[in-house]
Amino acid sequence: MPKAKNAVASRARRKKVLKQTKGNFGARKNVWTVAKNTLEKGLTYAYRDRKKKKANFRALWIQRINAAARIEGLSYSKLMGLIHKADIDINRKVLADLAMNQPEAFKAIVVKAKQAAK
Amino acid sequence: MDTLSYKTISANKATAQKEWVLVDAEGQTLGRLASKVAKLLRGKYKPSFTPHCDCGDNVVIINAEKIQVSGKKFDSKNYLRHTGYPGGQRVTTIKQALENHPERVIQHAVKGMLPKNRLGRELFRNMYVYAGTEHMQEAQQPKNLDLNTLK
Repeated sequence: MPKAKNAVASRARRKKVLKQTKGNFGARKNVWTVAKNTLEKGLTYAYRDRKKKKANFRALWIQRINAAARIEGLSYSKLMGLIHKADIDINRKVLADLAMNQPEAFKAIVVKAKQAAK
Repeated sequence: MDTLSYKTISANKATAQKEWVLVDAEGQTLGRLASKVAKLLRGKYKPSFTPHCDCGDNVVIINAEKIQVSGKKFDSKNYLRHTGYPGGQRVTTIKQALENHPERVIQHAVKGMLPKNRLGRELFRNMYVYAGTEHMQEAQQPKNLDLNTLK
């Protein structure tokens, strides 16, 4: 009597994984034993990095605000201190966007924050 | 620009405003100059800084042989390399290096302060170091920049 292995289901299961590892390097894309580990690890990285994305972007905004603040003769922390003291409720994302795309608007904020601190 | 976009925009090749700047190394301290030049090359002085993209300036450095080092380093700073053979360690003092290849002293210092990746190597190529006041980037009309005005 022939042994039944359910090849259709096994192939479908592997195919599902191999489809997702397309574009990986070397054996990671097409060797089942390697690809299944790669996929699992990749998903954990993806989960972790969805959280880290928020921190990474905040760091980038701070770097941009810092660069713009230094053009105005302030440091990032000095500027943030002034803005909080002046009760200006603008978050870092918008500040960085203004610094990059609307320098005049950013400058107006700096001037206003400086005036309020006086 | 689309003001209704809530995405953080990256600079790219088309939007990065790369400028040419001319830096005089005379009287500058080696490491302090290198860190400022590295920041210029990376574009960290710009509000449009983008970490994955070449958005920094092109930097031309002149008077490389007139660079200073602090403390006793002019007598004690060494550059070590190894030929790969047993006992093949070679020493070059900064004095010798400045005499023979003054550009390399600055190049070495700046390279160490750039990211160690493909982009870092690419950024390194945006720097041109010359001994003396002559340089070959006249056609690009680099703007004079006083490093002491930068933080």
